[in-house]
Amino acid sequence: MVDSTLLLRFLPEFAILGAGLLVLLAERMGAQRRELFGGLAIAGMALALLFVAADAGLAGLGSLRGVGASSIDAPVATGALYAFSSLGLLFQGFFLASALLVAVALLSRPSREPGSPVAYALLLFATLGMLLVALAADLVFLLLALEVTAISSYLLVGYTRRDPRGLEAAMKFYIIGALSASLSFFGASLLYGAYGTTSLTVIGHSWPTGAGSLASAGYAFLLVGLGFEVTAVPFHMWAVDVYDGAPTEVSAFLAGGTKKVGLFAFFLLFLVPLLLVGTLSTPAGSARESIQLALALLAVLTMTLGNLLALLQKEMKRLLAYSSISQAGYMLLGLAVGTGPALTGASLQILAHVFLKTGAFLVVAAVAALGVGPLVADWKGLGLRRPYLSAAFALMLLGLAGIPLTVGFVSKFVLFSAAIQAEGWFLWLAIAGLLNSALSVFYYARILKTMYVDHVDPGAPPAPSPSEPSLAFDGLGWGRAGAIGLATVVIVALGIYPQPVLSALGAAVQHFLTLGV
Amino acid sequence: MLPTLSILLLSLLAGTVLTFLAGKAARWVALGTSMLFLLEVGALLANFTWPGVNASGVPQYGFAESYPWITLPWLHISYTVGADGISLPLILLTAILQLVTVVYSFEETRKPAAWFGLVLLTCLGCFGVFISLDILLFFLFWELVLIPMFFLIGYWGGLNRRYAALKFFVYTHVGSIVMLVALLVTAFYSHAPSFDFAGLYGPAQALGVTTQVFLFAAMLLGFGIKFPIVPFHTWLPDAHVEAPTGGSVLLAGLLLKLGGYGLIRWGLELLPTGLVHDQPLLYAVAFASIIWGSVIALAQRDLKRLVAYSSINHMGIVLLAIAVDSNLGLLAAVLLMFAHGIVSALLFMVAGSVHHTFGSRDIASIHGITPRTPVLSTMVMVGSLASLGLPALISFPAEFGALLATWDRIGYWVLIPLLLLVVTAAFYLWMMQRMLFGPMEGVPEGARDVRWPEALAMSLLVALTVLYGILPGLLTNVIIHSPVYGLP
Repeated sequence: MVDSTLLLRFLPEFAILGAGLLVLLAERMGAQRRELFGGLAIAGMALALLFVAADAGLAGLGSLRGVGASSIDAPVATGALYAFSSLGLLFQGFFLASALLVAVALLSRPSREPGSPVAYALLLFATLGMLLVALAADLVFLLLALEVTAISSYLLVGYTRRDPRGLEAAMKFYIIGALSASLSFFGASLLYGAYGTTSLTVIGHSWPTGAGSLASAGYAFLLVGLGFEVTAVPFHMWAVDVYDGAPTEVSAFLAGGTKKVGLFAFFLLFLVPLLLVGTLSTPAGSARESIQLALALLAVLTMTLGNLLALLQKEMKRLLAYSSISQAGYMLLGLAVGTGPALTGASLQILAHVFLKTGAFLVVAAVAALGVGPLVADWKGLGLRRPYLSAAFALMLLGLAGIPLTVGFVSKFVLFSAAIQAEGWFLWLAIAGLLNSALSVFYYARILKTMYVDHVDPGAPPAPSPSEPSLAFDGLGWGRAGAIGLATVVIVALGIYPQPVLSALGAAVQHFLTLGV
Repeated sequence: MLPTLSILLLSLLAGTVLTFLAGKAARWVALGTSMLFLLEVGALLANFTWPGVNASGVPQYGFAESYPWITLPWLHISYTVGADGISLPLILLTAILQLVTVVYSFEETRKPAAWFGLVLLTCLGCFGVFISLDILLFFLFWELVLIPMFFLIGYWGGLNRRYAALKFFVYTHVGSIVMLVALLVTAFYSHAPSFDFAGLYGPAQALGVTTQVFLFAAMLLGFGIKFPIVPFHTWLPDAHVEAPTGGSVLLAGLLLKLGGYGLIRWGLELLPTGLVHDQPLLYAVAFASIIWGSVIALAQRDLKRLVAYSSINHMGIVLLAIAVDSNLGLLAAVLLMFAHGIVSALLFMVAGSVHHTFGSRDIASIHGITPRTPVLSTMVMVGSLASLGLPALISFPAEFGALLATWDRIGYWVLIPLLLLVVTAAFYLWMMQRMLFGPMEGVPEGARDVRWPEALAMSLLVALTVLYGILPGLLTNVIIHSPVYGLP
């Protein structure tokens, strides 16, 4: 017998799944126009976003609510596969926002490009996996949901089927993904062997009190497996080639969307033990310290190496890829500090990154469609030729660099404040993070300089013309213009008045933490 | 009560946005905006009364406003603004320099809308810094200043402008970050209830000695890069030489003052114990800047570079006046910042006009310009004399006060800045002797005296130099309405 409330609980997931199946069905029935597939995908995502907002308790959407208020942030029942936390719902919102931006921007790719229905279907299935990750309460459920996302994104990277670079990237992504998944599953099996359960809460509670070597090895494997997922150094090498080779809209989704899933998995796996041991005396104290140190090391390495390598890049996509790696370091930093404020900061940083990095990659896609080459130097003079597009990109770069009046500033401010507030050696972590953000300013400012300041030689070839000049906004297209505009508005709005999002995140994190303990 | 400072901020913001959008009419919009702003600041000064110190010893501010902005259980950030005798002269300076910069560059032809918009935006940022009384708000405006200045140097600058713009941005941004860490540590380690000045005041002063010593040293580094203090000064000559004249005026006149103001507001007032224990360090840095600035200035051939190094020297005296930690010292520090703002603006305009007129700023190759360009020569002379501290001109009372305060505290050490004043006088006199007098040389045919907008802007500054030189009381009566006189 099917429990009807069970169906209601998964309304967002069903909306996404339904849209994905409809896209495939429409393709079977011979539809060809991109607008149809895109419209279906966007409608599905918008509907899902609406349901998620209703579940999260947004005022005025009460009638759409599928999950009862009492089930959200309730203690996790033994053996439960999934649970609804307000933090998870907020993250579902982040994931959907990223997918939605990409889906809207994809509308501006050539209308009858082969593979476009597949791309939309894959985007939807990847999003489905992401939504499920946010609900996981069980290790196997979590890893399977991650796999749903991963497999869809391997295919997404190579969806054009013609571009050899895209295919190479897809292959590389697949091999690394398979390695990462097998490491994670191996770690999970060790944990199951140690405790006889796959419940995240139970494992989290058991580990600090009785950290056998089996369980510790399990955690170590999971750390590495998921480390690939979030592009933490030294497991980052694949990311640059994949982001570089994939169609740029897909890179936007990988950097702005799927990577965050791995971070949320980190939250689920490591927070409970981190928090719990805080309340226990030794020997748990040393276990806590070892996780925190490992995460802190990972965070600092990731930030620093990402930034240093970004400094050396000449290609725009590779530069953004390295900058994306360094941004993952800031998010891990919040996790390493592990206090409520720090997690609020890390979550806001994730949200900021969804809009900043998705937006930045979408601008790159748009600029490429205008006929500009892949090198940073090719962007010379763009600031004067394309003032609005360049202003949006400049804003995103300033946001990534953490300059005020953007959401990127607020998130870094909250994150580093939280690290300083935690006192002790976390002060040094904050200083490392701040120095890194100073370092990053260097390459972001260099791009600004190229766009606005460098003079174009009078003898240089004339400005390239758009590959499809018929599109709206001088060859930009409605889809890209809309997605970039939307991201820009959010970046500034949250930069000026972050209070509603911050208080929602703060409360959600608090629930999440009390739930764990 | 009216939200006076917010109205000023919004009117300046509106004017800036309009300027960006005004296209060919931008210069008129910018002129109107800056004249209105100066009038508003004048009204502000006329209506200013300092509410003094409250029952628990926390200084209060005139025109105070406070609205919550970000509130989390552990984070209380607000939009808090206010003004007192320390900030008001600098606010006045902002309004004056904004107007004269707009007037001076009134005939700018390269992308005028962007130029005037960025000039106004820089001034907006500086005004914001001077009125902010909350850490986050302060930092926000502080960083806001960087971006327009980056573009002013980078787009309108000289041959090596790209390098200079990037160096400026990276140096000052690193400084900002050090400053931010120091401010945040002050707030969190003292468990202050909020990020605004009133919330920080008591808890910060109660911090332990060691913490205060480290924090004050960190603030010295963070604010000091803007000063700039030796050895973190190398961005300044590059930025100045490459910047367009208007950019140099704002850079020397306003941006350097941000460092001095910040050190007084957030360093000296919040961490008095730290200041006292860091005094040896402060003296060392101040003397190094004074000596280095004037000795290197002596060796310069480029007029702009000479003025840039003399700025390092003068800001060293400001730091010295802050370091002695006395009422007179602070009075002199604020007065000197104002004076240096006016005089260095005048001198950079002079350097810019010399460049326009003669196609070069090389002191060693331009001689005897007085007969050909009497107006410009007069400006060179007034600016130089003011900068070397001639009595009856604006710098004299300020430098005199600073040296007197130094004598009061550390006795014969005052001989170091005093002797270096002689060097300062020497490099200005030598420069004047070579450029203004003697047989004419290196003057291109058809070189004509300065055009009217430049002459008008410089005349305004000359008038102020004389006015405040004769009547420094106009300013000191404002400055004393501040915690300067309430300090223990």
